[in-house]
Amino acid sequence: MVDTHDLPQHNNIQTDLRHHYDDELEEIRTELVEFGTMVLTNVRHAGEVVTESILDQIDDVRQADKPINARYKALETKVFEILALQQPVARDLRFLVASTRILYELERSGDLAVNLVKQLDRLDGLPSDQQIRSMLAQLSQSAAKTFALGVEAIATMDPEIGIGAEAADEETDDLTADLYRLVTERQESLGLETSVALFRMGRFFERIADHGVNIAEDITFVATGAFPNED
Amino acid sequence: MTEEPTTDEQLAPRPGAEQAELAAEIRAERKRVTGGTPDDAHDVIIELDNVDVYYGDFHAVDSVTIPVREKEITAFIGPSGCGKSTVLRSINRMNDLIESARVEGRIAYHGVDLYGSGVDPVEVRRHIGMVFQKPNPFPKSIYDNIAFGPKIAGFKGDMDDLVESSLQRAALWDEVKDKLDESAFALSGGQQQRLCIARAIATSPDVLLMDEPASALDPIATLRIEDLMYELKQEYTIIIVTHNMQQAARVSDRTAFFSVDVNEGKRTGRLVEFTETAKLFTDPAEQETEDYITGRFG
Repeated sequence: MVDTHDLPQHNNIQTDLRHHYDDELEEIRTELVEFGTMVLTNVRHAGEVVTESILDQIDDVRQADKPINARYKALETKVFEILALQQPVARDLRFLVASTRILYELERSGDLAVNLVKQLDRLDGLPSDQQIRSMLAQLSQSAAKTFALGVEAIATMDPEIGIGAEAADEETDDLTADLYRLVTERQESLGLETSVALFRMGRFFERIADHGVNIAEDITFVATGAFPNED
Repeated sequence: MTEEPTTDEQLAPRPGAEQAELAAEIRAERKRVTGGTPDDAHDVIIELDNVDVYYGDFHAVDSVTIPVREKEITAFIGPSGCGKSTVLRSINRMNDLIESARVEGRIAYHGVDLYGSGVDPVEVRRHIGMVFQKPNPFPKSIYDNIAFGPKIAGFKGDMDDLVESSLQRAALWDEVKDKLDESAFALSGGQQQRLCIARAIATSPDVLLMDEPASALDPIATLRIEDLMYELKQEYTIIIVTHNMQQAARVSDRTAFFSVDVNEGKRTGRLVEFTETAKLFTDPAEQETEDYITGRFG
């Protein structure tokens, strides 16, 4: 998926000793990026399926979650093995502990993508209300954008992304609140079942964005030893 | 919202020096409390203040400042030749036994300068006991190993009680109570080391210096010594020199990391970082510390 052959080391400190260990850590980071990109792809696809009401692709999103779950378990096992065998400390320890959290965040985001299309399945298609459709589309874009920040943070190990992530997430939160308001206003015409499904979609998009924020903040912790706004 | 989500190109793995520099800046900005702790409840018992050690012209250790707190375990770690054992030995004036050795700066014990005129080094060693790398029991019975020091120091109390309580504290009593008359050499290595600890505490010191106390022992005996240290710190202050970083991480409250500068073939040790052990092993302030404890340099 990504050519890892000529990647720089995960940091610029001297690596006179422990080449094998460094390789293992870099492999984990590269695999996290690949895994994150896999999840991001399915999150974007789920957003498209839901907001454009593409019923015949619902199952594709479901199927795409299976390799995500398998990758999660395989990567988690690798991280545990390094923790057990290499006695990591300092930045290495922060990176590996953060990796287990990031893996969880990514796997959960994959599940949320599936949950999104399940709502569409239940409704047998989105309501034709254009305003609701457009708002949902904005929310989907915004959530994917915030989620992508998390994956970008793993790819770059840039601590600044995590520092600005919470502010970047406000847009998604606002859009979710707007959607809730609109659905509440129109609940009678939409009907109970549709209203509940739309609420859930809003909730799932919002959660996906939150996972992206958490991942970016985990990377800030790896790089600096503290979470954003913590001292 | 016209802005496109992050592109795949942005997601290609590419951490670089720029981010590492940025992280270093952020880390540097963060407030760091060197040698401090959320719980500074324990008083400083030994204060190393700008301590330099020389062997003749040779500058072995450069300007070390460490406040050692009461009833804590303080670990000294660092590569060979970094001066950690030299500093340890200067605390109970063991370096006096080397003619050319000279200590500058101040080492205070309960506020008293240990190198002040009129301070008797033998008296110093009664208050600040030492346990060595290799168990070195006297060629005597288990009982006499413990009784020897107090006898010389003019101990007038009940010797049987003192032997028993010392062995109890060193977690050895149950294993030797039925063979106190047997030679100390009949004990295993781990038992011999605990005997040496019992011997060191028989003269009622309040500080114990331990120079690689477990490096000659197997893993189980090592864990037993570490467990014992944890018990002993209820009553004693312990300073341990160890090559085993995991041991320092497991047992100590604070850790001092020493490094060594090589100048024209001469090696001078210096203190790089002294802080709480949990901090040092999860988020050290100095890159030099990080490189050493993660095994990348040393």
